[in-house]
Amino acid sequence: MNKRRLFINLQKRMNVWTIVSLTGAAVILLPILYVLSGLIRPANDNWESVKQFLLTDYVIGSLKLVLFTGFFATSIGVVLAWLVVGYTFPLRKWFRWALMLPLAVPPYIAAYTYATMTSYTGFIQATLRNQFDIHVTPGTIEVMSTRGAVFILTLFLFPYVFMIAKMFLERQSAVYIENARLLGHKRLSLFFNVVLPISRPAIIAGLMLVVFEVLSDYGVANYFGVQTLSTAIFQTWFSMYDVDSAMRLAAWLMVVIIGIFVLERYLRRNQQYNTSMKQNKPLAPKPLKGAAAFGATAFCMIVFLLSFVIPVVQLIVWATWTYEKMWSADLIELALNSLSGAAIATFVILILALLSAKTVRTMSSWPAYLLTKLMTVGYAVPGAIIAIGVLAVCIQLDKWLFPIYASLGMGKGMLWLSTSLFMLLAGYVIRFMATGYNAIETGYDKIPRSYSEAARTLGHGPASTFFKIELPLLRGSIVTGFILTFVEIVKELPITMLLRPFNFDTLAARTYQFAIDERIYEAALPSLLLISISLFSVLCILNIEKEKTK
Amino acid sequence: MTYVSIKNLTFRYNKRQTPIIDNLSFAMNKGEIVGIVGASGSGKSTLLRIIAGLEQPEQGTIEVDQKMMMDDTCWVETEQRGVGMVFQDYALFPHLNVADNIGFGMHKLKRSERKQRLQEMLELVQMTDYAKRYPHELSGGQQQRVAMARALAPKPSILLMDEPFSNLDAHLKANIRKELLQILRRAGITCLFVSHDQADIEAICEREFCITANSGGNFCSC
Ligand SMILES: Nc1ncnc2c1ncn2[C@@H]1O[C@H](COP(=O)(O)OP(=O)(O)OP(=O)(O)O)[C@@H](O)[C@H]1O
Ligand SMILES: [Mg+2]
Repeated sequence: MNKRRLFINLQKRMNVWTIVSLTGAAVILLPILYVLSGLIRPANDNWESVKQFLLTDYVIGSLKLVLFTGFFATSIGVVLAWLVVGYTFPLRKWFRWALMLPLAVPPYIAAYTYATMTSYTGFIQATLRNQFDIHVTPGTIEVMSTRGAVFILTLFLFPYVFMIAKMFLERQSAVYIENARLLGHKRLSLFFNVVLPISRPAIIAGLMLVVFEVLSDYGVANYFGVQTLSTAIFQTWFSMYDVDSAMRLAAWLMVVIIGIFVLERYLRRNQQYNTSMKQNKPLAPKPLKGAAAFGATAFCMIVFLLSFVIPVVQLIVWATWTYEKMWSADLIELALNSLSGAAIATFVILILALLSAKTVRTMSSWPAYLLTKLMTVGYAVPGAIIAIGVLAVCIQLDKWLFPIYASLGMGKGMLWLSTSLFMLLAGYVIRFMATGYNAIETGYDKIPRSYSEAARTLGHGPASTFFKIELPLLRGSIVTGFILTFVEIVKELPITMLLRPFNFDTLAARTYQFAIDERIYEAALPSLLLISISLFSVLCILNIEKEKTK
Repeated sequence: MTYVSIKNLTFRYNKRQTPIIDNLSFAMNKGEIVGIVGASGSGKSTLLRIIAGLEQPEQGTIEVDQKMMMDDTCWVETEQRGVGMVFQDYALFPHLNVADNIGFGMHKLKRSERKQRLQEMLELVQMTDYAKRYPHELSGGQQQRVAMARALAPKPSILLMDEPFSNLDAHLKANIRKELLQILRRAGITCLFVSHDQADIEAICEREFCITANSGGNFCSC
């Protein structure tokens, strides 16, 4: 290929779309890379002591949470998914979507709700004591410990596994399972020999979501006093004011994450997700009778009560106690802050997602593909890491921009970026890019390439094709992507705690503050508000899905 | 006089593979309807995509109506080539009705001209009564005619058709072939027509090429 041709090639590939999405990817990756670079910078004294005395504990704490929660959440999720897909029993149809509702309850809210409920003065022990005169040995049902953290994280994260496994089993398992039934496999044998092996990729995908959520968790672990890498980052940052060591911890956590990422790829090496749009024959469920049916209903019901009804009812009760005091203008302002922050960040995410999905689609060259894939790593990176990276990059930018601020008459030594809402929004965008991007990409995959090509042969350039053909056809995916991303951001705690500007408070941050200050009853109302927003979004999505399958 | 001239075209999807199209040359006259036959996977669709500018070949020149589409130094983007294409799956836009689909390529015309041309096209393919319908409300043969009308509406210099019959029932084919030929004749368009069915080509085309996979200089005139 001669030089001239090379130039033509470059010109063809380097259009506005590419440049914008490459820039977007770079901006998103920058903070994460910055954190990683912490590994090769020289350490300060404090770090030596952290490393010597605490690092092992942090790593063990994180691993314990990941292993136990991963195991229990996956077990519950898969068993429930198989029950509602493979069998019929009373209330099955209802459980199929009701079991996703726990996703609307942020685990840190559940944590303080349960902790308070089961404490000495809490509802459960008080009832046992006063009504039945049963005195519980201290520590029997208290959930304040690693045990408690695992309990909470399991109950409120299992729906990820449930959702993905259920979708897989519903759409793609019919052939295998019917064959296995013909070959005489039943119940347990069917579950262990057929269902588990064929749904491995789906289970791993769900498990990974759980693992990343656990590693990212700050609220639950901190509330239960479990030392993890995530909580350690907060402590070194806020108690020791040692951002350097915090960054170094973040880098270590990042190494763990990358390890898990590689492990995931390895576990799924030969298994491409079957993304074919062909609607396979759905599996016909077998009816359960008698004790088995009762058992199935009871199991689903217990999980549902524990992971949704009980905490929500308890919160409602508490909210009625503090209703008058809390229902102040302040609460509305908090809600507005939460909603507007989330809306702006979601908007930015969707624009970036549309641009990069479009770029990946129009050009198949691997650098663009790789960069865009990298853009979505944020979902695996804990909020605390992203927060530190964003902060560091913004402070650096501020230093560079000093002269410009000065020339604008904003005063010397002014930190503008790193004290503004910009930081918080950037953190949200980086962390939740993947949620929006995946929704858009799924939508794009459903539009035949020939549509865009036809538009081009009819004289429309890439931009015009995008606005007239692709955008209208993507409408459904955009709505779904918006809701999913929005709700994640509204619930997000660590990034909000670390990056919000001085006078900017959100529902999530305030709720958590109340909880830490032992003002549990006052936390109830903002918690309920948060749960309602999430619930509304989850219901919207479920409704959209239902429409689609019709 | 030569209207379409293609010289020394070489193309591969993957650098490590042998070329799918290897040093291919041919020419067409104005108004000629030329058929391309060949086994599945021999590169027929690929050839059409190259002419439309949807794929970029390693080397070669393409000239249509005295306009250079590509050579060593120039590259004209698909949207500027003025080449019409009927896709194998028709690719009718599902969110636009028949009239809007046909009008889609006429965005550069004035409003009144556009309206007039739309009527002409609807009449040409005998779909006037269906102007307000959406693609999913049409039969396979109707969809195909709309796709033809849409491709012809902006007055392309050449019409490329990729297996336009592949989505149709066999018993419909005989009638539709005749219709298609009439439409092409009335439009007076230069057309390159791909099919793996020899009978289609014989019914419609004046001349045919046979394309074979991966044999150096893979073109023979039959
Ligand atoms: N996007 C692509 N990437 C890599 N290889 C491709 C791609 N598209 C087509 N090919 C390969 O190029 C060859 C030619 O494909 P093409 O679609 O042009 O065949 P065809 O003659 O139109 O076949 P058919 O009659 O089945 O439509 C095939 O071997 C195919 O596998
Ligand atoms: Mg083909």
